Parts: sequence; structure tokens; C-alpha cells
Amino acid sequence: MHALEIKNVFKSYGTFRALNDISFNVEKGDFVGLLGVNGAGKTSLISSIAGINSFNGTIKVMGHDVISDVVQAKYNLGIVPQELAFDPFLTVYQTLKFQSGLYGVTNNKDWIDEVVERVYLKDKINSNTRSLSGGMKRRLMVAQALVHKPPLIILDEPTAGVDVEIRKSLWEFITELHNKGHTILLTTHYLEEVEKLCNKIIMIDKGNIIAKSTKAELVSQSSSLPTTVQIETSNGEFSHELEGKIILREGNLFTLKLDNSDELLPILNLLKIANVKINDIKINHPSLEDIFINYLHR
Amino acid sequence: MQPFIQLTKKEIYRFMSIWIQTIVGPVTTAILYQLIFGSQLSKLPTGIAGVSYATYLIPGLIMMQVLLNSFGNGSSSLIQSKYTGNIIFVLMAPISPFLIYCAYLVSSIVRGIIVGFAVFVGIYWFGGCVPKSITSLLFFLIFGSSIAAGLGLIAGIISEKFDQLSGFQSFIIVPLIYLAGIFFNPHNFSGFWQHVAYLNPFLYIIDGFRYGFIAHSSANIEFGAIFVFCLAIVINYIGYMLIKKGIKIKH
Repeated sequence: MHALEIKNVFKSYGTFRALNDISFNVEKGDFVGLLGVNGAGKTSLISSIAGINSFNGTIKVMGHDVISDVVQAKYNLGIVPQELAFDPFLTVYQTLKFQSGLYGVTNNKDWIDEVVERVYLKDKINSNTRSLSGGMKRRLMVAQALVHKPPLIILDEPTAGVDVEIRKSLWEFITELHNKGHTILLTTHYLEEVEKLCNKIIMIDKGNIIAKSTKAELVSQSSSLPTTVQIETSNGEFSHELEGKIILREGNLFTLKLDNSDELLPILNLLKIANVKINDIKINHPSLEDIFINYLHR
Repeated sequence: MQPFIQLTKKEIYRFMSIWIQTIVGPVTTAILYQLIFGSQLSKLPTGIAGVSYATYLIPGLIMMQVLLNSFGNGSSSLIQSKYTGNIIFVLMAPISPFLIYCAYLVSSIVRGIIVGFAVFVGIYWFGGCVPKSITSLLFFLIFGSSIAAGLGLIAGIISEKFDQLSGFQSFIIVPLIYLAGIFFNPHNFSGFWQHVAYLNPFLYIIDGFRYGFIAHSSANIEFGAIFVFCLAIVINYIGYMLIKKGIKIKH
């Protein structure tokens, strides 16, 4: 059984096709990054999983169909929606208590206290949600998705508007949940977060999947992407044969563009032959961002 | 059932947390109506032997506030939830559309009943109006408020903006309620206007509820009971279908 099974999912708004035959599986224990530019279809897909979008195709959460077995599917799912939403009549604690009740969970004060502490809202626990800042409201939404300890957690841009320090702590908490066996699907604009956290990556564009594989596979494919290397020499000398590769020179520091990382060894050989003394070398491998942009342009 | 109970409790908490607006306000309005109309029109014949105008007015004013508040609860709760986006938490929760609808409906009826009781306590001493048929009173109270609550939920679902909801309330609901025989006995009208008055569905709710107090109705009470019951079923079925299909709520 997959934690999430998405099979031939189509979604249209009038004549606009937001999702075009999307199929992929998320296995239990995966930490999956769902990447796409604005309007790519990420939120349409998440709304379909959440049961707040109509769609054609099949979606199953922990083996439960989100249409025919909707109640069981929802018990297994915790979603942080992208749009900021809050109940202006409730405090932080009441919001989480009510949210627990919606999932049939009672007597979970200890867990609510722990979640509130981990999302840094402890001092706001009795404050009305109206008084929270945007980042705090976002963190409350993260807490809401976790009150019933769902096996599958979907986070749609959970750290938008959250400051750097708290974002880091939030990811530590999510990683901890992942280590405890929760399956996580994440969309974010911070690609470094995906690079650091996720073991699988799915890229979608204009409603189509353009890449899906493990992070390791994606990175290994990226050896064909341009790499830059910064070489600092001791006296500013350099090999004449490499002039064409230099894209920037700042004093003794030379930045070279390589078509791929395999070119590095011959370059070092040429520098040795030219008797250039190297002080420092820094290789800039293609980032996930470079890989992502490369896929978008295919 | 736990999700249903939680949603109902939260909805009741919502209107109780603003009790000055939702409970005290309607009682004050009813007292003012009773003071002004009850005293100024005290000599007006009701057409019913032994029933003064002040006594005639009391059940009408109670039901007026029951209907307005049942309508207002469902409509304002839904449109606020749509506006602040928090309806998404209910839509994502493991609760069926039927139970979502029931939770909003029950809480709206509860608000109607609480307001109705508070208004009764506030104005009964103006005319010494003591209930004569508890069955009739409760029947029209519950089914009458469920009609208004259902209409409120429908208005809350289909309205995209507050002014659309306000228009629905100001131009349809309020005129129908005010012209439903709260302040006058439609039986005293003659010919054409009497027929027009009896076309108003809210008239049968107020007439039946008043029957519970004074044991006298302007229209046939059995017909009124059947009509109100059927209308409550139809209105709330429509409301439920709108929630189930996610009209103006889901995409």
C-alpha cells in the first residue's frame, strides 16, 4: 500500500487544464518535494487530495479513495493549505482543540502543548487568532495539520512569511516527525529546503509532471549541467590554454565555466604543466534550482 | 459523531461569544416594538374574542426574532468562514457534507430558540401571554426556525459578498417576516389583500406559533403544520445539496 497514490488525475477550470494526467506514488516514510512555478498545478493537486476540488482520476490516501472512502482518507491526512485561514472567534488553544475534535481526537492537551511549543506559539496560546501576525497564523496552520498525528502530512508552502530562525526550527520538528514514520509531501519556493530535506522530488509544470525521481538520481543526472570552478593561484599566473574557459578574473581568483564536472581533471593537469601554484579551489555544482530550471526549459 | 458534535459546539460558542449582539440585541428590539406598538395600538381590535393587541403581538415578536436570528446565524457564519477562509478546515475534516450541514442547521435553530426564550422572558409581562398548547408552540418553533436557518445557509452559501447577503436579507427575508401577521391579523383584511397575505409562507409559521399561545389561528392550523413541515424539508434538502455539491465553496 502506498501512502499516497495518484493515478491519471485531470482537473480543469472551464477551458483551462490545471492538471493533465498526473500519476505518481508516495511511499510510506518518504519525504517528497513537489516543485513547480506559480500556477504549475501544485495547489490544484493538493486541493484534489484534500477533497476540496472536484477532479477526474483516482487518488488514494493510505489506501483509502478520497472520493468513495472520503472520511477514512481524511483521518489519515493532515494538510497545511497555502492560503492563510483562521477562525476569528477562537484563541490559538481553542482553534487546536476544535481542530482535534473535528478529527474525533479528545484529551490531547499534552500533544497540543507540545505542538504549540514546537511551532513557537506557546506565549500566544490564549491569544485570539486575529491578533497573530501572518507568520504566526501560518505556524498555527502547521499545528492544526498535526493535532491528529496523521500518517501523511502535506505542507503547501508552510514557511512562507516565517522568519529564518523559526523556519529552521519548524523544519527540525517536521524532520523529527518524518523520522518517527510520518510521510511528508512538501511544496515550497525555498529550493534549498527541498534539497536538504526531501529524498524524492517531483517537478510539475503547466499541469504535467516533467520529472520524478529520487534526489540522488536527479543530482547524478545534473553532471551534464554546467559547473563553475573558482581557482585561486599564488601569483596570478594561469595556463594560456584555459583562457577560453575563464568567465571572471578578480586578482588571483579565476572563475571558469565547465560544460560538466568531468572537465575538471584535465584542467588541473594543464595548470600543473604550466607550473601554476594553486592556493585554493572551490567547485560550484549545479544546485537544485539549476536542475529545476533546466527541466523547465526542456 | 464526534466531528459533528464539535462543529455544532463551536458554532454555538461563536454566537454565544457575541451574546450582546446575538441575544440582548433582539430582546431590546422586541421590547421596543412591544412598548411602541403595544401601547399605541392597544385599542386596535384583533378580531379574536378575549385577546388584546398587546397579547396578540407577543408571539409574533418572539417568532420574528426567532426567524431573523436563525436566518442570520447560518448566513453570517458561512459567509464569514468563506471570507476568512477557515471553512477549509471543516471541508478537509473527516465529516460528511450531511453532518456539516446538520451542524450549521442545529446551531442556527439553537440560536433561534435561545433568542426566542429570551424575548419571551423580556416581553411576556406586557400582555400576560401564557402558552396554551406546548406541542403546537414547539412544533412551529423548531420547524419555523429550521426554515429560516435553511434559507440563511442557502444565502450564506450562494452569496459571494456581504452586500449580496445583506440584499437577500433586506429585500426578501425581512419584508416577508414583517408582513407575516406579526403586527396584524390577516383575517381582518378583505378580498384581494387577504389572499396576498396568505401567500406568504412565513405567515403559517407565525400563525401556528401564536396558536400555541392563544389557541386561535387565522389560517387552518393542520394545513399550516403540514405546509411548514414540508417547506422545512424542501428548503433544507436544497441547502444540503448545495453543501454536498460544494457550490461556491469547492472548486
